Amino acid sequence: MSAIAYFLESEGIQTTGISLVRENTAALEPPRFLWASFPLGRPLGKPGDPAFQRRVILAALGLLERGSGPVLEDYPEDVPELAAEDTRACPVSFARGAGAQAGAAGWEGRLAAELALMGPWYALSVRRRGRTTVGIAKAPLDALIGRLAAALEAPLLEGTDLKALKYALEDLKAYYQEALTAQPGHHDFQETARVLWQETELGGAMLALHERFLGHEDRRFKAFARGIAPRSQTRGRGGD
Amino acid sequence: MVRLADLPPDERQHLMAKNMEPLRPPVFVATRKPLAQRRVALITTAGLHTRDEPSFDLMDASYRVIPGDLRGDELVMSHSSVNFDRSGFQEDLNVVFPIDRFRELVDEGVVGSLADVHFSFMGSLVLPPVLEAGARHVAGLLRKDGVDTAFLTPV
Repeated sequence: MSAIAYFLESEGIQTTGISLVRENTAALEPPRFLWASFPLGRPLGKPGDPAFQRRVILAALGLLERGSGPVLEDYPEDVPELAAEDTRACPVSFARGAGAQAGAAGWEGRLAAELALMGPWYALSVRRRGRTTVGIAKAPLDALIGRLAAALEAPLLEGTDLKALKYALEDLKAYYQEALTAQPGHHDFQETARVLWQETELGGAMLALHERFLGHEDRRFKAFARGIAPRSQTRGRGGD
Repeated sequence: MVRLADLPPDERQHLMAKNMEPLRPPVFVATRKPLAQRRVALITTAGLHTRDEPSFDLMDASYRVIPGDLRGDELVMSHSSVNFDRSGFQEDLNVVFPIDRFRELVDEGVVGSLADVHFSFMGSLVLPPVLEAGARHVAGLLRKDGVDTAFLTPV
């Protein structure tokens, strides 16, 4: 992002904005940025808090008044950690492996059974938010589950469509995350991620997929493992 | 939250490895112009695009156009990194792409106007020289739209 700011400014467009990793921004010395201590993925800090977001924007716009640079200023407000009693609990009880015990055949059957559990919560999310972020794969969910199951169970061949697999994973994760946070109120995103990765069949499938790709001798597959599971969920398992 | 000192060592190491040499020569436009006279474009590196546009590739230096009059339900995110939170974006588009906040600032007269179109890149695994052509092209499009200020947000 620093590079884009640099090239825009060198073409005469004044730039300002938010930095989330201060050290990276400081190293590149772009014209001006406001560093904020917010979680990666949340440059305006707090979803659903217009007043908070507005303060951040005005602070970044204020840097345009500086007569010389580079400018890298620290934003003084943090996003406070949520107290457990102030957050919404997960609406669905998962029992990873229960599907297998109940006789659901293979990954595809277990994932389909779990997806059916999530359906009403996803519908509630769409109703409350008026939108969904599912849709980058441009394919129905059962086809996405099929793609994931095939990647887990079929041989990985040179012609394996990694891009289509990646889009399937992202859409399935978005579907689950929106369902898990469907109820109004505050959600602790780290807890949502923990439930997704550690309690659901989908999380188990994606971690198994990560292991499968990471252990593959083909460097293309090995590198792809990084795009399957986050470091926070694969720490100590050789994840990059 | 993202103070490197607070992160696990492997995460800290990963982010520090992204430090690069300063961009040269230094550039800095020192125009002091009231906000109320500025025309602002939003530039995101979150890999956002409208639902009917092609998703970003795993490594991709191209950009997507975001119409200035878009509705929030039209945007999806196909950024290739899995190491940032997406639930904030799922809850509220503005925590990543603050279009409603800027519309409010324009309505109140705090900011002059907003660009006809905004732009989205996918800021992952792409080095500065690879981004240069696209960014300079976007600068030309912004100038034609009368934009003098860009507001950038990462993920």
